[in-house]
Amino acid sequence: MSDALTPQELATLMRKNAGIAVEPAQLAENLDSRFDAYGLDSLGLLGIVAALENHRGASMPADAEKCATPREFLALVNNTLTKSGA
Amino acid sequence: MSGSRTRREDPGRRDTVVTGLGVIAPNGIGADVFWKSTQEGISVLDRITREGCEELPLKVGGEVRDLDPGTMVEDRFLVQTDRFTHFAMAAADLALADARLGRADYEDSPFDVGVVTASGSGGGEFGQRELQELWGKSSRFVGPYQSIAWFYAASTGQISIRGGFKGPCGVVCSDEAGGLDAFAHAAGAISRGTDAVVVGSAEAPLAPYSVVCQLGYEDLSTSDDPTRAYRPFTSDARGFVPAEGGAMLVVEENAAALRRGARPRARVAGHAATFTGPGRWQDSREGLARAIRGALAQAGCAPQEVDVVFADAVGTPEADRAEALAIVDALGDHGRRVPVTAPKTGIGRAYCGGPVLDVAAAVLAMEHGLVPPTPNVFDVCHDIDVVTGNARRATLRTALVLSRGLMGSNSALVLRAADPD
Repeated sequence: MSDALTPQELATLMRKNAGIAVEPAQLAENLDSRFDAYGLDSLGLLGIVAALENHRGASMPADAEKCATPREFLALVNNTLTKSGA
Repeated sequence: MSGSRTRREDPGRRDTVVTGLGVIAPNGIGADVFWKSTQEGISVLDRITREGCEELPLKVGGEVRDLDPGTMVEDRFLVQTDRFTHFAMAAADLALADARLGRADYEDSPFDVGVVTASGSGGGEFGQRELQELWGKSSRFVGPYQSIAWFYAASTGQISIRGGFKGPCGVVCSDEAGGLDAFAHAAGAISRGTDAVVVGSAEAPLAPYSVVCQLGYEDLSTSDDPTRAYRPFTSDARGFVPAEGGAMLVVEENAAALRRGARPRARVAGHAATFTGPGRWQDSREGLARAIRGALAQAGCAPQEVDVVFADAVGTPEADRAEALAIVDALGDHGRRVPVTAPKTGIGRAYCGGPVLDVAAAVLAMEHGLVPPTPNVFDVCHDIDVVTGNARRATLRTALVLSRGLMGSNSALVLRAADPD
């Protein structure tokens, strides 16, 4: 079982993979703000999903890159991460 | 695009004028520094220092060393786009600032502003990095931005998205001459109703993969002496050295520019292009002469009205001879007397960005009444008047910019000085 992805880690992934600067605390407090409001497009989220899969060694659900908000994304990927045993 | 007499007779004409210059060149960032270096004839050619290029047979080039892209381009574009797009976005910003064309001018009419760039190779550095991930690890490690960052049209797309420009967009995928052809596309859009176009080209060919791709070019100079590597029109000509960078310009419909209080800097008066085949420099004589005649005809310009020629200057004996002869073929005896310059001998050939830098230099030359010299060239062996040593003072009302590409394109662009206020 793997650790859940935190909002802080998501903020780091956004910066590293898409160049989107967002304060981790700000992201954590505004989980319902849409990714596109931060300037993150679908290619950026796709890159984050791939980085997460490579790093955690687990496949993410097919719809992960279609999530509109951090809350939606964290719920979906953590459902996989914390159950997969990866 | 026609002569001044015709223009006055036809108030419905939509003339294309230059209102802003944005330069990212090896010899300077911004039009002011670029012009100062250019008119002083400073050569910045030097040993290529980019990581991974040290052991390659290409030794000398024109690197853009005075720009930290992070100072002009947001983090997201640094991650999502290639160096050639960083250059183009930075140059576009400088051009828009120079033209004082801001969001307030077009936010109610975004379809009136378009973007046209030219690109010879797209984003080689970004592509190399991602392909190394592909072969070194697996396809799962290739970032999704590879799908758009390497692409020829990336700069046009990113500039238009970032600026909110929704007018006609395009990219000329071509060899060097495409940089001039982009102006023809921009002028075409303006003639059909667009008010302004951000136009030009910037390239970034000095990364390992991109350099290796160029090693097959017969005309590439592999000399390791920066003062002798690129000496067109001399008996020592041994090829060209590549450069990175380029320029973006703001061109506008003349009346639209005047309406918003912008100052027309020069008029894009005529353009023509021909194709005579890759590596066939001898044939480029006829093709280039035809392009010159076509551009002059469109401009309503007689050969003797040309006050300065910005030469293509490939730097091989055969190509230089063809160009010198083409100038005389098209301009007659005037072709032997008109000042010819090739400032690119001080910075290298930035592929499609090269002739755009020449367009910027031509606008500045007309404004300053000064023909910049041809650095590293002093012993011309052709029957044309190449300006060497120091800049030459002259009244310049009409400039002819020439470009040929390694793949066989020949283009000519005629610029006229802006009408006096």
